[in-house]
Amino acid sequence: MDSALIPKGVKRCPIWQFALGLGVVGAVLLWGVYAMILCWFKGLNQTNMNDYYGFALWIWADLAVIALGGGAFFTGLLKYVIGKDELKNIINYAVLIGFICYSSALLILAIDVGQPLRSWFIFWHANVHSMLTEVAFCLSCYFCVLTIEYIPLILENRQLDKVPFVHNLSHTMHEYMAVFAATGAFLSFFHQGSLGGVAGVLFGRPFAYREHLFIWPWTFFLFTWSAAAYGPCFTLLVTRITEKITRKQLVKDTTIQLLAKIAGWMMFTYIIAKIIDTVYWATTTAPSLGFTLKDFYSNNPVYGYWILFAEIVLCGVVPALMLITPKIRSNRLLLTLATILAVIGVSLNRWVMVLQVMAVPVMSFDIWAMYYPSWQEVATTILPVAYGIILIMISYRYLPIFPQEAELNPLEPEADMAAAAGTEETTEEVPEPGLTPAEA
Amino acid sequence: MKIDRRSFLAMSVGGAVGTALTPLPWKIQDDLAIWTQMWPWTPFPPDGENTYVNSVSTLCGGGCGITVRKVGERAVKIEGREDYPTNQGGICNLCASGLQMLYGPTRIPYPMKRLGERGANQWVRLSWEEAISMVAEQLGEIRQAGQPETVACLSTRPYGSMPALLKRFMTAYGSPNFMTTPSMMDAYDMTLKRMHGVDGRMGFDLENADYVLSFGSGLIEGWGNTVHMIRINSKWKDTNAVLKQIEPRLSNTAAKADQWIPILPGTEGILALGIGYVIIKESLYDYDFVNNFSAGFDEFRRAVLSGYSPGNVSKQTGVDQSTIVALAREFARARRPLALCGRGQGTVPGGFGEYVAVHALNALVGNINRPGGAWAMPRPEMDGWLEPVLDAPAEAGLAKPRLDGAGSAAFPFAGQLFNRVPVALKAGEPYPCQALLVYDANPLFSMPGSGMVREALQQIPFILSFASHMDETAMMADIILPNLSHLERWEDVPVTEGFHRPMLGLAQPVVDPQFDTLHAGDTLLQLAAALGGTVAASLPWENYEACLKEALSPRWAELEDRGYWIDENFTPDDWSLAFPTVSGKFDFAVSGADLKTLFAMTAPQGDDGSYNLKLIPYDSVRIANGAVGSPPFLIKIVSDKVLKGKTVLVEVNPETARAAGFGEGDQAVLKTPLGDAAVRVHLSDGLMPGLVAMPRGLGHTAYDRYLAQKGVNANDLIGSVEDTASGLDATWGILASLVKA
Amino acid sequence: MKHSGNFGKPKRYGMVIDLDKCTGCGACMVACMAENNVPFKEDESKKLDSISWLQVYRLTNGKPYPDAEVCYLPRPCQHCAGKHEGHSPCVSVCPATATDYDQQTGIVSQIYTRCFGCRYCMGACPYHARHFNWWDPVWPKGMEKYLNPDVSARMRGIVEKCNFCFQRYQKATEKAHAEGRRDLEENEYQTACTQACPAGAIIFGDLNNPKHAVHQIAKPNLKKGGQPQNPKAFRLLEELETNTKVYYLSSKQWVQDAIHKPHLLDQKEAHH
Ligand SMILES: Nc1nc2c(c(=O)[nH]1)N[C@H]1C(S)=C(S)[C@@H](COP(=O)(O)OP(=O)(O)OC[C@H]3O[C@@H](n4cnc5c(=O)[nH]c(N)nc54)[C@H](O)[C@@H]3O)O[C@H]1N2
Ligand SMILES: Nc1nc2c(c(=O)[nH]1)N[C@H]1C(S)=C(S)[C@@H](COP(=O)(O)OP(=O)(O)OC[C@H]3O[C@@H](n4cnc5c(=O)[nH]c(N)nc54)[C@H](O)[C@@H]3O)O[C@H]1N2
Ligand code: SF4
Ligand code: SF4
Ligand code: SF4
Ligand code: SF4
Ligand code: SF4
Ligand SMILES: [Mo]
Repeated sequence: MDSALIPKGVKRCPIWQFALGLGVVGAVLLWGVYAMILCWFKGLNQTNMNDYYGFALWIWADLAVIALGGGAFFTGLLKYVIGKDELKNIINYAVLIGFICYSSALLILAIDVGQPLRSWFIFWHANVHSMLTEVAFCLSCYFCVLTIEYIPLILENRQLDKVPFVHNLSHTMHEYMAVFAATGAFLSFFHQGSLGGVAGVLFGRPFAYREHLFIWPWTFFLFTWSAAAYGPCFTLLVTRITEKITRKQLVKDTTIQLLAKIAGWMMFTYIIAKIIDTVYWATTTAPSLGFTLKDFYSNNPVYGYWILFAEIVLCGVVPALMLITPKIRSNRLLLTLATILAVIGVSLNRWVMVLQVMAVPVMSFDIWAMYYPSWQEVATTILPVAYGIILIMISYRYLPIFPQEAELNPLEPEADMAAAAGTEETTEEVPEPGLTPAEA
Repeated sequence: MKIDRRSFLAMSVGGAVGTALTPLPWKIQDDLAIWTQMWPWTPFPPDGENTYVNSVSTLCGGGCGITVRKVGERAVKIEGREDYPTNQGGICNLCASGLQMLYGPTRIPYPMKRLGERGANQWVRLSWEEAISMVAEQLGEIRQAGQPETVACLSTRPYGSMPALLKRFMTAYGSPNFMTTPSMMDAYDMTLKRMHGVDGRMGFDLENADYVLSFGSGLIEGWGNTVHMIRINSKWKDTNAVLKQIEPRLSNTAAKADQWIPILPGTEGILALGIGYVIIKESLYDYDFVNNFSAGFDEFRRAVLSGYSPGNVSKQTGVDQSTIVALAREFARARRPLALCGRGQGTVPGGFGEYVAVHALNALVGNINRPGGAWAMPRPEMDGWLEPVLDAPAEAGLAKPRLDGAGSAAFPFAGQLFNRVPVALKAGEPYPCQALLVYDANPLFSMPGSGMVREALQQIPFILSFASHMDETAMMADIILPNLSHLERWEDVPVTEGFHRPMLGLAQPVVDPQFDTLHAGDTLLQLAAALGGTVAASLPWENYEACLKEALSPRWAELEDRGYWIDENFTPDDWSLAFPTVSGKFDFAVSGADLKTLFAMTAPQGDDGSYNLKLIPYDSVRIANGAVGSPPFLIKIVSDKVLKGKTVLVEVNPETARAAGFGEGDQAVLKTPLGDAAVRVHLSDGLMPGLVAMPRGLGHTAYDRYLAQKGVNANDLIGSVEDTASGLDATWGILASLVKA
Repeated sequence: MKHSGNFGKPKRYGMVIDLDKCTGCGACMVACMAENNVPFKEDESKKLDSISWLQVYRLTNGKPYPDAEVCYLPRPCQHCAGKHEGHSPCVSVCPATATDYDQQTGIVSQIYTRCFGCRYCMGACPYHARHFNWWDPVWPKGMEKYLNPDVSARMRGIVEKCNFCFQRYQKATEKAHAEGRRDLEENEYQTACTQACPAGAIIFGDLNNPKHAVHQIAKPNLKKGGQPQNPKAFRLLEELETNTKVYYLSSKQWVQDAIHKPHLLDQKEAHH
């Protein structure tokens, strides 16, 4: 039925199956939309946030998603600026994931602020000293860049591509993509950093506060670094999941291995920096503000040293070592395990830097504030996930996201779409290179 | 033009870009933002001319001077009057929320008559003429039937023109049954009468005291004039005066005291006697006063020395012997020591023996009618009025005994004992009550044993309320003739108990009446006129204002001009003239009372062995617990360790709680002989083991959604216990148990 | 700020709160709510979403019965100046300049119509002095009559906080201007909480002015970020260099210890 829209040379599941999938995820999406509407029309009293917990679940999701979306800028940087051409095979997907992550982040912010209709005041009445201003500017600009990076991909749809104007436009855009990618990498570098700065500048919150380098606290650099390190892991993980679901190999191992290796080394260096940061903070910064490490990890039901161990060792050092060890990395299962640990690690880091900051009492006579999200918060947090899945489903079905897919999964001449849906994927490499759509 | 895919796309993109380049989206965005800045559902307070109106608050007995900021016709803020002698600019949380009462949704907007069941809160509006004639008819019939004594009247305050007018109305009508809600004033009045021989009120020169022993008085929780007392406390800090707080619970007062001395509840009087023992034994008392200006010391000395040795007292009170001895020595050696009693806010009098025991300490150290001491003060008088005219039915009615037994052979010294009314009505003695007039009082809520009070009210066929807010008692009324609110009316406000200068304040209207309500004084005058005859003749004034002016005539000009009158130079009588007793001296023997029985501790209700704890009520400075309910701001500042959602938290010592299997915040059922209540447990190291403490003032069933149905009314769980020696309500708590919910 | 303009020498308005005198009565909290049109709702027992610009904390010494002691600590906004005047934790982070440090008065203001409710300032403030309007404010019918026209009612979705009753400063300066005076007398500008406090526990004035009681009591050392020189005086979280303008006095050692040593107290009762 929609076969005319499906890229040439690849197999897609029957439309009913696709529609059913969309329907299921769509239902989740609608639930999220309902919660979102409640938040907009009834106000943020729909959440379990409070005056101690002004940032909560979805802001964590926001930061986590931005970190995980870091695969886009870092892969772009590697491909277009540093020249790791091999990554062209995964860049489309990285961009798509990045686009999803960033558009989700913006949506979450639009739900999160108490007066969404005034959110443009952040630009109009910008306070240049505020990290959030920096975040807002970079985030918006980078979202535009991601959109520009994503558009040519849309234009490559089989039918759109037939329109000569569109064909030319997308071709031209591809030529300039390096410029956008470089801009994007630059912007992203800053806003990842400023997101880190958001917590790091809080000199009233010794748990978050970090010493500065130039005008930025250390968290500025650590956030960028971690996004660059852990973002690609998320790209790899989502790719793996997509492969599992579609039951096909979509990206060649060489590409995967290259990205995994780079991510591994980034993580390795990052985690060393993070450990130095933590030690310095625990032994110098916090004590100078009148706090000991124990103050941050005791006297409460949830936040203990376990969280420090989990973030830095279990989900930091361990996956980093796994990824830089070729033997482990080349084992698909262990690779997936490492990427899962990494994703948990960076998410934990963002949780700690947002939510534990709110929970820790600062005045000696104050309380540890505990918080759990309301269903509306959970729904609105899941909303972007549903939206992301839908966008991936549609993009995967109708756009040539994976340049190597056709090559890796040659069509059996007699197979029609419906019949092919159930067939096993082929994992052998097909030598014939073929023109990948991204380079067309 | 044919729209193909290409031109469609071009148009869409072009349209989007084009729109973005016009001012339209920006304008819309701007307008939307502006709209959020003036949402029509967020009120926009109009501006106007700023004025300040001075008045005096009648929200509580404190009677502080207030100044109300007005913008146009609206009152927008109540502040303390800086030049007012008692509060000097300070104000407490209740008055600061006062405008929520003036403009609040619980105001009774017009006269109304009950429809349906009592307490169902269903009413029909009446015109004032209808309402007055209905009431006059009702009261007229009772008088016609020759039973004027069966009509009773209850007011909160005893002093001032309104209580005086009510009392006058009752007298002219022919009823001896004018009463006020019980308080420590009754007990202190009795103390003065029987120890000083003075018919007056007690005053304390707190400012000049340098060592204060407070036997559970909530000096910061609303004992006396709240604001004045808090000011005094600060002054004590400046002058290094010492405050020792004796009570089972670490109250705000105890927190501010130099020492908190926990004591088993109900044994405060015993401790006072123990202190007296040491003072007498060690001959630390004031020889001059005791030898030359007191009588009955030997009896007193015998009574004290025979049973109140520190060892004995320690066992009964839970206070260390060494503490007892130390307190006695410190007290006796201080320059201006002062002993105070009246638990909490003093809204429940307590046993008379306790007052005698505590006040005897002041006498032992000779700090009577001296700077920094306890002073006998004259009562505020209504000096401008002629005697009421009485006809024969009135004379006959007035000759009948009072419903509450005050002044009878059993309770000769009591002025009034409203706490005894429920019991008397239940017994049908001496006669039934056919009508009750309630002014500025909410006994159904504020008196211990509210269940009994409810039963009593149910037995009264006609209840007339003058309430301006729909409180519990008003809800039980048959007719409400709503009074003006505290900021709409004239009223004289005589100074509160405890203040050591004769003083009178004048409340004046700050805003025009907001509803179709009438000053209760005017209502009363119209009622009298409608009744006619000698009743009308006794209340001849055209309106309340005229009556007030006449009552205050010698001081009216000053009152109107300055807002208050004070006798700055008042000094109490010299010892040689101060005691108009038989002996002409201070009477340690309490006019021949049996001291042994007098000093015996009153046992709480429920001593049948099935309860292992004691429930004590406590007064919180953040909860109004008298005739006035807490306005929204007050409830807002109540701690979440006191009220969580709709559930009250009771304080329990952690040890006691642990033994009963309760942790912080656990739900429990609190049982007393009078009933059960669902509560939560709050662990407090500031409470003696074995006790459960519950705040007074919660558990309203009337008022608005900000107050009603929150927590439990402690008075539902704690009954009234009569002090056999005086008839006063000696309640200090009740036996109780906490069981799992 | 528009109105403060060039009015006399720069002031540093601040408070001294005497904890020996504070009784925990809460009159200051109510006076503040009444002055500043603070809304209320049916259930205010969830203290973490209950707007009260001034919060009176109840500190305990953590000892068991009968050695328990209690100290009440009122906490308005501390009007932090930060390391240099204006570097308040909250002002420095607000992306939309909706909260502002007034160099003329040292007052940290809040511009309700500008705030878009991102709540970053709340996260930045270690004193929990900031409150978010989670609900639309609703006054029962008739009660809106008492609202103060000098203070706008806030809409849902924005942050509010103590601003040292700035409207009173404005009124006082307008009056002084009209009378041709450049400076305010100490008693011309007093906050609602100071005025109400029955204990006289709150003292308010210009910390820069040696004639003002706040200066004389706290004796701020202006060379050392305003550190008090009175040994009985201290500020909350001095180590963070928030450089607050609210000084506290206590003669009790355990109170001083509790303030300085984090989490010394076992039993914390934040909202009493
Ligand atoms: N330091 C400080 N900052 C403040 C304030 C303060 O007192 N001090 N006040 C705050 C307050 S209350 C507010 S409301 C904001 C206001 O702050 P802004 O929103 O910045 O207000 P303006 O600059 O007055 O106007 C906004 C825009 O509207 C444009 N404009 C003017 N007339 C029209 C028109 O008819 N149509 C269209 N489409 N646009 C028009 C103006 O050119 C301007 O670009 O500032 C806030 N910021
Ligand atoms: N000429 C002229 N007139 C105007 C406007 C204009 O731009 N120009 N704007 C119009 C608009 S949009 C508005 S909203 C009004 C505003 O008119 P005004 O109410 O006069 O407000 P501003 O002039 O912005 O000054 C507000 C002052 O309040 C102080 N302030 C800060 N925070 C608070 C707070 O929390 N409470 C209180 N009470 N005060 C605080 C600020 O420091 C500032 O000095 O003026 C309107 N009129
Ligand atoms: S003591 Fe408080 S409630 Fe009573 S009159 Fe004074 S300010 Fe008002
Ligand atoms: S009004 Fe004064 S005494 Fe009462 S809580 Fe506030 S600061 Fe303390
Ligand atoms: S106390 Fe909080 S709100 Fe007030 S100035 Fe300091 S950081 Fe800002
Ligand atoms: S909530 Fe308002 S005041 Fe606070 S940082 Fe955001 S915009 Fe600024
Ligand atoms: S200074 Fe004004 S705004 Fe601040 S707490 Fe006191 S009364 Fe409230
Ligand atoms: Mo505005």
